[in-house]
Amino acid sequence: MNGERDPAAESGSRSPLIDASVAPVLLEVIDLSKSFGAVRAVRDLTLDVRVGEVHAICGHNGAGKSTLVKALVGLVRPDEGVIRFDGNEISLRNPHDAQAHGIALVNQELSLVPELTVEDNIFLGGLDVPLLYRRRRLSEHARSVLDQLGLRHVQLGRSVESLSIGERQLVEIARLLVRDARLLILDEPTATLSKPEIERVFKATRDLVAQGRSVIFVSHRLDEVFELCDRVTVLRDGQRVATHEIHEIDRRTLIEHMLGEMEGARAMGEHGHAIPVSGEAVVRIDRLNVPGSVEDVSLTLESGIITGLAGQVGSGTSTILRALGGLVPNASGTVEVRGKKVLLNTPRRASAAGLLYIPNDRQREGLFLGQTVERNLTVVRLRRLSRLGVLLRRRIQRAARELATMAGVDLDRLGSPAASLSGGNQQKVLLGRALQLEGTALLALDEPTRGVDVGGRADIHNLVREAAREGTAVIFSSTELDEVLDLADVVVTIFHGRIVSIVPRAEASASAILADMTTSHASGTGMSS
Amino acid sequence: MARVGIERRPLRLADIALTVWIGILSVVTVYGALTTTGFLTVSNMKAILTAASFVGIIAVGLTVIVLSGNLFSLALGQTAAISAMVFLYSLRWGLAVGILLTLLLGLAIGTVQGFAVGAWGANPIIVTIGAAGLIEGMAVWLSHGESIVPPSDETSWEHLANPLFGLPVPVYVFIVVTIILAVVMRRTRFGRQIYLLGENRVAARAAALPITLLTVGAFGIASLYTAGAGVLIGATSANASLLLTGSYTYDAIAAALVGGNAVTGGRGSIARTAAGAIFIATISDMLLLRGYSTGGQILVRGIIVVVVVVLTNLRERNR
Repeated sequence: MNGERDPAAESGSRSPLIDASVAPVLLEVIDLSKSFGAVRAVRDLTLDVRVGEVHAICGHNGAGKSTLVKALVGLVRPDEGVIRFDGNEISLRNPHDAQAHGIALVNQELSLVPELTVEDNIFLGGLDVPLLYRRRRLSEHARSVLDQLGLRHVQLGRSVESLSIGERQLVEIARLLVRDARLLILDEPTATLSKPEIERVFKATRDLVAQGRSVIFVSHRLDEVFELCDRVTVLRDGQRVATHEIHEIDRRTLIEHMLGEMEGARAMGEHGHAIPVSGEAVVRIDRLNVPGSVEDVSLTLESGIITGLAGQVGSGTSTILRALGGLVPNASGTVEVRGKKVLLNTPRRASAAGLLYIPNDRQREGLFLGQTVERNLTVVRLRRLSRLGVLLRRRIQRAARELATMAGVDLDRLGSPAASLSGGNQQKVLLGRALQLEGTALLALDEPTRGVDVGGRADIHNLVREAAREGTAVIFSSTELDEVLDLADVVVTIFHGRIVSIVPRAEASASAILADMTTSHASGTGMSS
Repeated sequence: MARVGIERRPLRLADIALTVWIGILSVVTVYGALTTTGFLTVSNMKAILTAASFVGIIAVGLTVIVLSGNLFSLALGQTAAISAMVFLYSLRWGLAVGILLTLLLGLAIGTVQGFAVGAWGANPIIVTIGAAGLIEGMAVWLSHGESIVPPSDETSWEHLANPLFGLPVPVYVFIVVTIILAVVMRRTRFGRQIYLLGENRVAARAAALPITLLTVGAFGIASLYTAGAGVLIGATSANASLLLTGSYTYDAIAAALVGGNAVTGGRGSIARTAAGAIFIATISDMLLLRGYSTGGQILVRGIIVVVVVVLTNLRERNR
């Protein structure tokens, strides 16, 4: 085989005739670049996908995976670069173009209509369904595709709602196969699946490539990459780091590629972290369980300590925090706040016990977008800012000014609707409302910097540290390794709803955490449908 | 508050259309006012205010439900009618008892509906339609289908219908209860939380606002106000039956909508609704004076409501 990092071998310029053991190239991406504002999401990216291979794309958040995927299905237009499909240069201006060429994306969020039948979903929005279509022939076609995907037991007339998530994923794939997709892109397909379901999707994927189709497999889970894929391309900071045949590379090397220099810089704990003085245990979580997403999570949270929950999307980190906020009524287990057991079946109870939850979806669940910034900043402390039910307007204004100053929100905007702020400032308002609230035992921040740019992120991290310094226990969730290493005093890694490891920041190494976040060792049995 | 215009949303079509529509309405109203004989007289102004007051009281109460994001109550007319009946019946124990009993009944009716909506997440439209049926059934059952008249030896209630300093008592009541509720909505924690709940229910839950309590409060106030209107209606007609149900429900909703309150909640005010009620009364009065038939009046009113609602909601959606 060729040398691992021989650029010529990777650039896609190689003719298949040179090496007969290599299948012809289906897709070539050459020097692709795309910027969003000042952020260069993808830089001079070159890669190729062969006929009949499963090609993994790895890299942690922000590496450029999703931008690449979007470019391939016409959802973003690259600034520079060429995409060749089957030897011809193609331009993908919209998803329609991609579909016409036979490039199809299976998304994390499925695009099926739950109320319709399997068959209707398969043909919904198809390009080539004739006006007066011959139903029987189409049905037969759909049937054979479903059979081929191992869905022999699923009738065409069944409604999609009645299927499991894994079956839905396969129906989605069937939908693309009926359209004769030649390149399927599976974007984190297993994030929400159980073990047997994952097996089904994998088997279907292997069958597809055996028929000469190609698959791009985007995943955080390295186990799966090793199990399923033929080659792997690692992205970091928008660039390709390496492409390897899967048998040429081991897990450690792959993780090193994904992390780059970060490992060296971060493992030492030289980020100005004061060694946390062990505080008083404020919150004890004992065997927290949420059916289908969290299993036996036990944690002790101390005052002044920031605990980071590291886990991929769907790993259950968010559910743990929501349960602490009283938003998961079917959670079981015990939670003690300052030695007292708390029933967490409503947000009112949680907040009365001093558990303050800040949601991750600021638009939908966090902010009151049409209301003023002032109203948003003071929403959780109105009791303190009123007497006998009457609002004390001076005190409200003063409190809003103080919180805005602390959170770094422009004081001139206190009277504007929250919707008029930028995403980063909205996030500051959301976080600002939780600051310096008397009686708060624990601040539970669900992805506190989701969708915030680098500058805003640093500000928000400082706010969180400030809150901890004042003695509040803090727990946050994040899917981003950088953030966890930056902010947490204690790193708790979650995989499939279970705790994989708990390490103090000083001892945490990026590679170990990444390995824990992406591994199913010892915990693969955790989820069964 | 002085603001720089950096992040302000651009002027949109719906804004322009709404402004144009308000302009047209103003011009037509002024033109109508100047050309309709008998419109610009003191007695006609009094007539307009009197006509606006019953619907107005109900409508400002209803506004709390609208602002809380629970759409409307469709049981207002029935609540007003049964309140009038209970009031006239209970006058036999004295005026004060009559008023108190009626208001308590109204509060109770609203509280139950609010609890169903707030605690169980029931759909407010369905709950209030159901409540309307229940109230109607109860009224027929208790009154045996007969009208209620006040006891012959009791006349104190007549003060409620008589003019005071030249204006009927209901007008004063309308003004006072509107001001009280406007202050409550602006200056109390309850009012602030109602706006927040109406703006975003999911966020209100995550922020641990007392959703059940607020919803009970909203329906309670609406029903209490409607019962108050029922007292005045009973006193004015001196004869109460389910026929009084009339079109109060729809008129109150129309007033809240014409005032420009967002149907989806969170945005609007008590003052807007009061203005809406007066505006509708003005238009109706003008059409009446110009000799339009009842059908014509309803039609014109309907058109105004529909256009304002469509335009305000287009505007809200664009925010």
